[in-house]
Amino acid sequence: MTTPAARTMPMPGEAGPGASAQPLELADLSVMIGGQGGDGTLTVSDLLGRYFRKRGLYVYTSRNVLSRIRGGHADASVRGSRDAVAAVKEHVDVLVAFDKEAIELGRTELEGHGFILYDSTTFQIDLPNAAGFPFATLVGGPLGAPIFKNTAAYGALSVLLGFDPTMTRAVIEERFKRRGGDALEKNLKALEIGRKAALETPGVPNRFSVLDGDAHDLILTTGNQAVALGFVMGGGRFFAGYPITPATEVMEYLQRYLPAFNGVVRQAEDELAAVNMIIGASYAGARVMTSTSGPGLGLMTEGIGHAGAAEIPIVVADCARVGPSTGQPTRHEQSDLSHLANLGHGEFPRFILAPATPEDAFGMTAQALNLAERWRLPVILLLDQALCQNTTTSKRFDSTQIHVDRGNRLTPEMVEKMTQYKVYEFSENGVSPFAPPGTPGIWSEVTGNEHDEWGHVSVNIPNRNRMMAKRMEKMVKARDELPNCRVFGPAQAKIGLIGFGSTSGPIDEVQRLLAGRGVPTRYLQARTLYPVPVHEIDPFLKSVDVAYIIEHNYTGQFARLVRETMPWHHAKLRSILKYDGHTFRAPEIIAKISEAK
Amino acid sequence: MVTQSAKPVPPIWCPGCGDFSVLAAVKRAAADLKIPIHDLVLVGGIGCSGSIHNFIEVNGIHALHGRLLAQAVGVKLSNPQLTVVAAGGDGDGYAIGMGHFIHAFKKNASILYIVMNNETYGLTKGQASPTSQLGFEGNVEPPFHSILTALSIPAPNFIARTFSGDPKGMTAILTEAIRFNREGRGFAFVEDLSPCVTYNDTYKLWREKVLDVTKLPNYDPSNRKVMFQICLEAIEEGRIPIGVLHRPKEVAQDGLELKLVKGPNGPARTDISVEPNLPAYQKLLAGLA
Repeated sequence: MTTPAARTMPMPGEAGPGASAQPLELADLSVMIGGQGGDGTLTVSDLLGRYFRKRGLYVYTSRNVLSRIRGGHADASVRGSRDAVAAVKEHVDVLVAFDKEAIELGRTELEGHGFILYDSTTFQIDLPNAAGFPFATLVGGPLGAPIFKNTAAYGALSVLLGFDPTMTRAVIEERFKRRGGDALEKNLKALEIGRKAALETPGVPNRFSVLDGDAHDLILTTGNQAVALGFVMGGGRFFAGYPITPATEVMEYLQRYLPAFNGVVRQAEDELAAVNMIIGASYAGARVMTSTSGPGLGLMTEGIGHAGAAEIPIVVADCARVGPSTGQPTRHEQSDLSHLANLGHGEFPRFILAPATPEDAFGMTAQALNLAERWRLPVILLLDQALCQNTTTSKRFDSTQIHVDRGNRLTPEMVEKMTQYKVYEFSENGVSPFAPPGTPGIWSEVTGNEHDEWGHVSVNIPNRNRMMAKRMEKMVKARDELPNCRVFGPAQAKIGLIGFGSTSGPIDEVQRLLAGRGVPTRYLQARTLYPVPVHEIDPFLKSVDVAYIIEHNYTGQFARLVRETMPWHHAKLRSILKYDGHTFRAPEIIAKISEAK
Repeated sequence: MVTQSAKPVPPIWCPGCGDFSVLAAVKRAAADLKIPIHDLVLVGGIGCSGSIHNFIEVNGIHALHGRLLAQAVGVKLSNPQLTVVAAGGDGDGYAIGMGHFIHAFKKNASILYIVMNNETYGLTKGQASPTSQLGFEGNVEPPFHSILTALSIPAPNFIARTFSGDPKGMTAILTEAIRFNREGRGFAFVEDLSPCVTYNDTYKLWREKVLDVTKLPNYDPSNRKVMFQICLEAIEEGRIPIGVLHRPKEVAQDGLELKLVKGPNGPARTDISVEPNLPAYQKLLAGLA
């Protein structure tokens, strides 16, 4: 490990004609990379993230892409910080632009000291604190294709930010070594082309320097990857899905992971088929899941209702995006909650769980599988686009913390001792014993129609009343098994903050910033959203004078559930809402709290 | 000790309903093939025919309208050792379930799908269905011919049509279809012409019009082109082709479940407890940068 001090100085031999006198040291740095889709902005973002990780920094990357393969404005931002951040920084320190639009859009986000590195192949700008390099031309000649311009830009950026050249190069090696062909060789050349150009430009070399952090042995991951891993290690063995942004990566990861564990992943013809395939697979005895987003969820509603009525355990991961209808496929929102809480015609029990971070998503996915089988009902994992797709540093997932609990599942030995097997038998907690097909000597008749204990269709009045109660009371009886709320901040704080999902990142930062100003806050992170954990939220609300419910939707959907279940707290609840497709930044929340006061 | 499971209930069907023949043929085929009850799964759709699993001792799923094939494929991929039969009506399969119907041929999972075609929606009292003739209940859309669609999909499926007025022929075909499935050869589709005695009593008419294609001199069920021509010409002449319409010449284990499930245990039977899987889990996690 090199010492931080060594890196704040120009590296030997690096102090060319353009060396800055004194680098600006940054402990929390945000770089935005913008251009046309296909310019390779995500690659630059990935390279930077890897570099920051080598320096022991916490990393948060977000992307802002359009729902198209090529073209259209796309940008990505990478934040490297010595603090455990999981949100976009308020301002951008460095903007890397591949076109004019990226400059127009990115300029407004720049810090006062902010700097622009841009590709000047087709245009020039006249701005202070900017340097243009014809990256496409510079790489086009020696490498035969302009596509390496992104790696050249990373090279120039590394000089601007005073990166360690050896580590900078190691990142390229890591990223491209498995590509095969001459990908690595050409990218290394592109890196040097970018570095050389920047070193020769006055005002660029070592303009900034990045401080080292102490965040080591962490992984850089996304919520979607965490859900896929949690599914595998929680014993999930059958997954069916249909491609949809921003959920698709769950299926893609599982296509890679699951076959090694005798699991099956099936891409279905539509979401109707996907949810019904997992229902069939669950009935036959496998642990199952599907993942989708708003429009697919609409189609799956029918099947989720069937699982609810027929008491078939399924897990549905909803990777929420902007709605209604097809909305904004690549953008962030938390507006599916009301639909999920009331999902389906008629009434049936369901649990809605909302992990806050990838690490949480890993454990909670495994927990969802247990809950679905223990209580024989649909469990919905509610994620949001930022949690699903933004990469963040996370503690390593711990598979030893996972356990598998299949509830009242009958083995052939247990069946042998039974005189009768009723698939919908009334029981103390409403859960009936179950044996999948293939269990010698018995068979199971399941139906979405109202039924008696044997699974026969029934319109008998006392039976209907008992069956409804059997199913619906699970939501009460399971209470103590559902994921707990987490509360952060001093008990004496009188300002309460409530949120779920990826808002945990910005809210965490809000707490730190406000604490620094002498304003203590208390944050309740809701992890079970439905049934509403009244037993946890009620005492929290009692302990504060005012509570801001922070969520990404127009109508305050979680706030409505809280008001509905705890009307006595009505007067102290305030909503902070955002529905423009982008995540909260901490100062924005603070501003709204200040306005409300 | 014998453990009592759900007992069959009396059929809800009208006396004389064509579906009785299918119920009898499924029972006969399962008995002849010596399939233990606990290894047989019957997935029913919505409609009169979709209640068939209530009338036989069997593992049964009463699926959503049109979704029985998706559930049946899920069952098979979860535990390939099960024998899976999906059964529903023409509205279920060819209207609301059409997307799944076509994909079932492509998927080629080793399950049997029986469509009891009565050319009407019986349970909701006689509306026109996708297979209704022009003029039936004001129908102005030409009828859908499932067998032509089935023959048009180039997958090694078993395709046949039976008539409830010929229970013996039907039993032979269903038995062959289930055997085809149990050999892992893929999807079997059998459309049964099953008259609705209340809303569309076609026994007499169909008896006159059915054409047993297996008796034709150029009959060759492994030749898709020939069979398509035979069926199309018969339909154009006002006849109703029945018999085995497609059977791949080569005995190949083409079932989807055999392509996806490695080893003897499918997702339902594999050991999912943490301990035996822990080394592999930890290896996977260690690979994360």
